[in-house]
Amino acid sequence: MSIFLLEFAQLLFVSLVAGAAGSLLGLGGGIIIVPIMTLFLHIDFRTAAGASLIAVIATSSGSAAAYVRDRLANIRVGMLLEILTALGAVTGAFLVSRLAGPVLFVAFALVLMYSLVPTGQKIVSELRGRAIAQGTEQSAASSRIALALRLEGSYFDPAQGRVVEYRLRRIPLGAAIMYIAGLASGMLGIGSGVFKVLAMDHVMGMPIKSSTATSNFMIGVTAAASAGIYFGRGDIDPFVAAPVALGVLVGSMLGARILPKIAGVGIRIAFFAVIAVISVQMLLSGLGVGK
Amino acid sequence: MRAEDQARRVERAVSLVLRTGVGLSAAVILLGLGLLVAKGIFSNNVRIDAAIPYPRDLAALASGLLALDPASVIMLGLVALIATPIARVAVSILAFALERDWRYVAITAIVLAILVAGLVMGKALG
Repeated sequence: MSIFLLEFAQLLFVSLVAGAAGSLLGLGGGIIIVPIMTLFLHIDFRTAAGASLIAVIATSSGSAAAYVRDRLANIRVGMLLEILTALGAVTGAFLVSRLAGPVLFVAFALVLMYSLVPTGQKIVSELRGRAIAQGTEQSAASSRIALALRLEGSYFDPAQGRVVEYRLRRIPLGAAIMYIAGLASGMLGIGSGVFKVLAMDHVMGMPIKSSTATSNFMIGVTAAASAGIYFGRGDIDPFVAAPVALGVLVGSMLGARILPKIAGVGIRIAFFAVIAVISVQMLLSGLGVGK
Repeated sequence: MRAEDQARRVERAVSLVLRTGVGLSAAVILLGLGLLVAKGIFSNNVRIDAAIPYPRDLAALASGLLALDPASVIMLGLVALIATPIARVAVSILAFALERDWRYVAITAIVLAILVAGLVMGKALG
């Protein structure tokens, strides 16, 4: 077997698994595939990030259509906050070529560890056999900015059998976190969904279902903002990006449709443990330990 | 009621842009992979990210496409994928204009401007 074919098959396979694991853990494929590509397949960080961004666009665009139709995603909130994520992504895409590799590895490890926190909490509550508290306390009060920009919304929740209405608050703080989300996306080649949900759910008081849907809706635009720069700079390697994009796309579709039916909490814990170990390896590698 | 119908139409348009973009680019990427097989590139004994040249700008992409170069065909699919969310933003401007929501027409136009500026600066600042 030629080296080219071998590496192509490796990329396709790990992307497939990363996409499936990501959708099972509620993470994007990017946050899993970039460490594997850089640590184990020894692909240059920028090439890995560029390929991952392509995969992020494919999965986000593929799923956003459904969210728009179901009206779970709040298009107004998404568009407004995309100003900040797009600016952050452009900044991040320029920073990536000016920062040294070890800095990127450490930054990635920290973001990855933080991203695992909500998944870990969910696993713990599953083991205890009760549902996690969903979202923050709804506030009737709405800030002046939210009123002026019509940052409110409603959706039908079949689980509760009623229409949920919400208004948002603390927009400036939420927007600041969105800039950081964009920065991480452009620098590290990820979707930064965890930061986006944090800004909308915990800070701005949007119900968790809408936060997640709006985040998914926004991720494609955030990723496109930096992927365009990666392409303009010649950093999108088609031989690497093609298997990664196809693998993550198919993997996440399989993960969303098939795995919940066959996977118990056990496989979730296994995936969680593997990714936790990878994040530690990424950190050690960035700090120059064990080389 | 008519405004509601219009909003629905626009939502369908946004969905259509996203689905068409992803579908088309996946098809073009697969076509490019087919060309890789046909031209025997899979049997090259080189690292996947190192030795084989690929187009790094639109001019090189265009001439590569004319020559049916597999890397250029794959790249066309990737560029279409990157363009999909950008097209979605452009369509959203139209959506808000139909709703006569001028504030959001402006907000969405700012997002589009940042995306386009990023593309142009990415080329200039390398």
